[in-house]
Amino acid sequence: MEAPFPLGLPLATAFYLVFYLFTLVIHVVFMNYVLAGTLFIAYRGLFSRAPSPAGDITLDWMPLMLSGAITAAIAPLLFLQILYKQEFYTANLLLFHRWMSILPVLIVGFYSLYLLKSPGITSRWLRAGLSLTPFACVAFTGYSWTENHLLSVRPEGEWAEFYKTQSMWYAEPALWPRLMMWAVGAVPTLCCVLAWQLWYRDESVGPGMATLALAGLAGAGLAAGWYFEVADEIVRPALFGPFAFGYLVTAGIGVALQSLGWIMIARERQASLRWLLLISVGLTLTLLGMTVCREAIRITTLGLARFESYFGRHDAALGKSGFFWFLFFFALNAGLIAYAFYLVRTQQKSKPNG
Amino acid sequence: MDAVYYPVNDFGPLMKGLAIGGLGIFHVFTAQFAIGGGFLLAWFQWRAMTDRCPECRLFIHGYFRFLVLVSFVTGALTGVGMWFTSIQVSPQTIALMVDEFHWLWAVEWTFFTLEVVAGYAAYRYGARLSDSAYLILLLLYAFAAWMSLFWINGILSFQLTPGRWLETGGLWAGFFNPTFWPSLLYRTVACGSLAALVAMLVVNLSNLPHNQKTTLIREAAWFTMPMLLMPFLGIWFVSVLPPDSREWITGGSVAMTMFLGIAVGASVVIAGYCLIGILRQRLTINGATATVLCLMAFAATAGGEFVREGARKPYTLREILYSNAIRPDQVKKLREVGVTTGDPYPLRGADGLPNEQTKLGALAFRNLCSICHTVNGVNSLPGLTASWDTDMKRMNIAKLQYLKPFMPPFAGTPEELEGLVQYVEWIQAGSPRAWPDSLADPQTRTKRLAEIGRALDQAGVEAYLHQKRRKE
Repeated sequence: MEAPFPLGLPLATAFYLVFYLFTLVIHVVFMNYVLAGTLFIAYRGLFSRAPSPAGDITLDWMPLMLSGAITAAIAPLLFLQILYKQEFYTANLLLFHRWMSILPVLIVGFYSLYLLKSPGITSRWLRAGLSLTPFACVAFTGYSWTENHLLSVRPEGEWAEFYKTQSMWYAEPALWPRLMMWAVGAVPTLCCVLAWQLWYRDESVGPGMATLALAGLAGAGLAAGWYFEVADEIVRPALFGPFAFGYLVTAGIGVALQSLGWIMIARERQASLRWLLLISVGLTLTLLGMTVCREAIRITTLGLARFESYFGRHDAALGKSGFFWFLFFFALNAGLIAYAFYLVRTQQKSKPNG
Repeated sequence: MDAVYYPVNDFGPLMKGLAIGGLGIFHVFTAQFAIGGGFLLAWFQWRAMTDRCPECRLFIHGYFRFLVLVSFVTGALTGVGMWFTSIQVSPQTIALMVDEFHWLWAVEWTFFTLEVVAGYAAYRYGARLSDSAYLILLLLYAFAAWMSLFWINGILSFQLTPGRWLETGGLWAGFFNPTFWPSLLYRTVACGSLAALVAMLVVNLSNLPHNQKTTLIREAAWFTMPMLLMPFLGIWFVSVLPPDSREWITGGSVAMTMFLGIAVGASVVIAGYCLIGILRQRLTINGATATVLCLMAFAATAGGEFVREGARKPYTLREILYSNAIRPDQVKKLREVGVTTGDPYPLRGADGLPNEQTKLGALAFRNLCSICHTVNGVNSLPGLTASWDTDMKRMNIAKLQYLKPFMPPFAGTPEELEGLVQYVEWIQAGSPRAWPDSLADPQTRTKRLAEIGRALDQAGVEAYLHQKRRKE
């Protein structure tokens, strides 16, 4: 913790942490799109019936993006079990039914999205209720993850106390500000991906979206301030130490780049490739920086001694073979995925089948 | 290595194995349908685009929608659910498997990602693509789905037959273990059969004319043809099982033999109807019969999975980890220091127990027995031991692996064993408010603990099958 991440960590720990954070960033992009996107779907279902290309795209793509979020969650979940096995398993067990309920809840969310896309649902009230369901399901899942994470980093004595209470809800002062920071921070991600989708379809990206993205960035900043206020004794040493400070600055630069890009889009009243690229770079920097900062907070909460006690297990895990096969199949399947995209782009026929 | 303690949840009257088994069966059924469905769609597309069966084109998109709605959603989520449920049931088991196979799991994830991308691309854009491009996407989807099975099959079959891994510790020795190939091939045949049965159901739900339905049903029925191989693959699988596991499923355990019978019987009926009825006698099938055959396939899956899970006993990872997540090399030490001593989690509902001895027994039950037994539900310990007197309980539990060879050796101190006996007797007596401490009298205590200690020593610290193998 005396050198910038991942320097100063043992090889095995650094190796798994880098993999974990890299795959987590990918998951966060999908997750943010789904969280903010389902909120957008709910808003449109409840309050707005005006035609909107952004609304149509979000609804059309949401099942795939939810599928992507779940698929992308598997890899970080795997590395998490190498890194913080006992913590993750214990929190799962302590929250028991409540934790497990995210699975049926997500299935309900999934099917409600398909139902929303079905032309058979014509009742306005039913559509309004249905449009709220995916967001409720995704938000519940997000809440459960935050709750699980916070419980997982508590000391063993507190786990035992929590077990005794038989409660399946865990709360601490940092829960809501932390949750809000990530939830509100999801809005700029949705805006960025949606802007690319609109740009690809030659649809306009209006100042409304730029305003929404800027509001999301400002809101996430406010929530971060609230979080700092509530958990200052952990957050300050975690983020202002050598381990994560550079990444905090990186996240800040990312926010500045995103803000600049959205301001320019608002001024020019249209999205150009240049500003979209700038926003995307900014978003990448922000997500990367934030995930490392998140990890620094976790390690600081666990305490250095507890964290260091895992190093031996990480080393043992690294001693298992199979990594090069993973790289081989990763490259192979990335190539096949690219080929699938290529087929969709280039192999369209002139008239439909049968 | 010291034991790692996790909080243990009470599943009430439900056995924990039922929770994971129930979800597992559902997941296996949907996942195998997804794999077979991919190949069946590719087969139909090829038959349609080469004009061998123009009707096939009418069916593809409707079936794909069914595949996506059922399999993509519930299949994917129950897959994650299996992971989470495994943690709920036995975190030590999943921890060991993740440590050992995490890169292979990561490889499986890359195929799962390909499956999702290719599947969605085919689903969304298939109607707009050229025939050959659509076929390639379907084949990519099916290949990726099957490769997911390939990798997971290696990890799952390792649990039952770790093979040379026990001597070498090598990744591939564990992965390509003795049951890997028969299990993979058997499951592949099952995938095709499930896809065919669901296709027959979907065809019957469509509004197509009767003659077209008949054609499509016959096309789908070809996917059940490999079921002819099932007896050979089944025999191959059974022949490479460890002898004791083979004994459980072939009469040694009535429940397991019965479930094997259900799996075999249901498969025979399905194969008979499809191969003889539809393909040879050129009969067709209506929606009701197709539904019944799908249900029979579900029963066959359930029977097969139950047998696979049960045949591992007394292990959850054969020769590595007992069902109660205690490693064989820990038993000796736990008999000295106690299984409850290091458990940091308090006993829930301790106030309702009459004395410290029953509290100790309840803790021993939680750590050693609750993975498979309940207090007053399925496979309840008080129920199973209701006809035993107190001394029988002491001796039988002390020599558990001899009493029932699919049970692990008792891994606690004589005090914990006596506590467990008293806890069970207290429940059997109707949980009265007062209950005497059976070790309160110092002389009785010394004598009784010595007796239990002797019985434990006689039983030894190894599983029965180990001792038997050593004698042989």
